Amino acid sequence: MAIREKPHAQGKVKAGDVSQRVGVEQLEARGINVQQLIDKLIDAAGAEFTTYYYYTILRVYLAGHEDYKEICEDARLEDRAHFELITPRIYELGGSIPYDIREFADRAGCPDAYLPHTDNGQHAPSQPPTAAEILEVLLEAERCAIRTWSEICDITFGKDPRTYDMASRILQEEVEHEAWFIELLSKERDGVIRPSGHFRRGVPGEAPYSKNAPFYNP
Amino acid sequence: MRCGAEEHILDAARKAGLRLPSACEQGWDLACAVRVLEGRWDNGDARRYFEADREAGFALICTAKPLSDMRVETHQRAAMQEHRRALRLPAPRGAWGEVP
Repeated sequence: MAIREKPHAQGKVKAGDVSQRVGVEQLEARGINVQQLIDKLIDAAGAEFTTYYYYTILRVYLAGHEDYKEICEDARLEDRAHFELITPRIYELGGSIPYDIREFADRAGCPDAYLPHTDNGQHAPSQPPTAAEILEVLLEAERCAIRTWSEICDITFGKDPRTYDMASRILQEEVEHEAWFIELLSKERDGVIRPSGHFRRGVPGEAPYSKNAPFYNP
Repeated sequence: MRCGAEEHILDAARKAGLRLPSACEQGWDLACAVRVLEGRWDNGDARRYFEADREAGFALICTAKPLSDMRVETHQRAAMQEHRRALRLPAPRGAWGEVP
């Protein structure tokens, strides 16, 4: 009886070669520029990390608006969860986050979410920021994240299911965050009700898409 | 194409039916960078824009308003990233705005 061919048992990467990654080779074979993808993921991870940092400050200046603080806390912790989700994928693809956190922050793909009235983080606020001013910063940060993750979904769709799945999960949470901040800012600043349609997290920063149904770091 | 004095150039380009690269749309990630060949512009709405960028003739059209008639060369993200890198100025490294 003839031995059956097993077409996926061998490929370009030689048996035992640990300097190559089949998980990368297969993406390149499908037209992904892996180095460009890694660069975008590092920029995006930098944005999630810096946003987490700045949201920490924005949140404490929402004192007296305890409902807004709680919602800001969900977004803050979920952005941290996104950083945690992206980083392993960068290494799987053969990349690395920068060894200097300053370089990491400098290359973030979205603007620093500075507290208003600080001259872009140069000093303590010269006057107390209003809740509306803070909500506007939060909203625009989420919008940049949506544009970022939409682009990563576009370039990985149908070619890199693992990165696509990750990007899609993150995107879904960023879309929810935008809807929350539209609802809050619209009411706070304009007195207009624009419901988000959803407003629930079981525990702070629950991250229902990126953390609670994980494919990594359960 | 025509662009109002209070309009961002990228918005006007879209209205004119031009499809140009962009990503953050907040004047940060350089995806929409152009090189200005003629004319004056205001990039004051950009979230990160250096005097050296202006001196080198780069504009971020997602947040730039025209101050005169302009002639620009689009798709300059890579050139502007290189410019920033040469001056050790911060910039994202990804090819943002380039979707196959």
